[in-house]
Amino acid sequence: MHRVSGGRVIKHYVWHTGTWAWVLNRLSGLGLVFYLVLHIVVIHFVRQGPESFDALMGFLSTPLWRFLEWGLLGIILYHSFNGIRIVMIDLGWVVELRAQKAAFWTVVVIGLAGWFAGGVLFLLHMTG
Amino acid sequence: MSQGNVIKSEQSLWWLFQRISGLSLVLLLLLHFIILHFTGGGEMTYERISARLNDPLWKVFDLAFLFFALSHGLYGLWIITGDYIRWDWLRVLVFFGLVLLAVVLFAFAAITLIPFF
Repeated sequence: MHRVSGGRVIKHYVWHTGTWAWVLNRLSGLGLVFYLVLHIVVIHFVRQGPESFDALMGFLSTPLWRFLEWGLLGIILYHSFNGIRIVMIDLGWVVELRAQKAAFWTVVVIGLAGWFAGGVLFLLHMTG
Repeated sequence: MSQGNVIKSEQSLWWLFQRISGLSLVLLLLLHFIILHFTGGGEMTYERISARLNDPLWKVFDLAFLFFALSHGLYGLWIITGDYIRWDWLRVLVFFGLVLLAVVLFAFAAITLIPFF
């Protein structure tokens, strides 16, 4: 936000709902690019043959990696739902500022619900 | 939408691409996720993964998925860096860096995806 005051331009941010949505979209996007690179490298190990690949998969199924994968799920859910929200705004389906904010909170609620449901599935898979 | 039907520049074409690839990625990822984690026991073994990678249909699916994911992600990086890097020469450097990264990652992934085992 730019505000002119006494001939000086004061530059500062006001953290509205949309600012949070935007920052979270960037951070989650950066995380997803990082994961994509890791994923490409990991799956490349399939070319090294069964022993090598299965050993790597064994290492990646330890609880720490499962926990990180759950984090990945949260990042994916946010970036996907917020992306759909952005497209809906661009198409003119969500116009009013209040509706855009409501859409953001819908993204947060649906995302968190999906994230926790996914967490339950992770735990069920690991214990049984 | 009513006044915005004309694509005026390269930027708006990319803007449109980011929307279309984004929505496509949601659908492709959902399918990818269901197939890998909810069918065939969900086990990540060499046997299962290499069998799937050997299917020509999955090769096409994965290559399309890869193309959308890389272009969407790296265009995102281009936009983010554009907000912080002002100097023209550095902008050019970042541009070629990202193009190089895209080519290298695509080639590296294609080596995994294309050959039969």
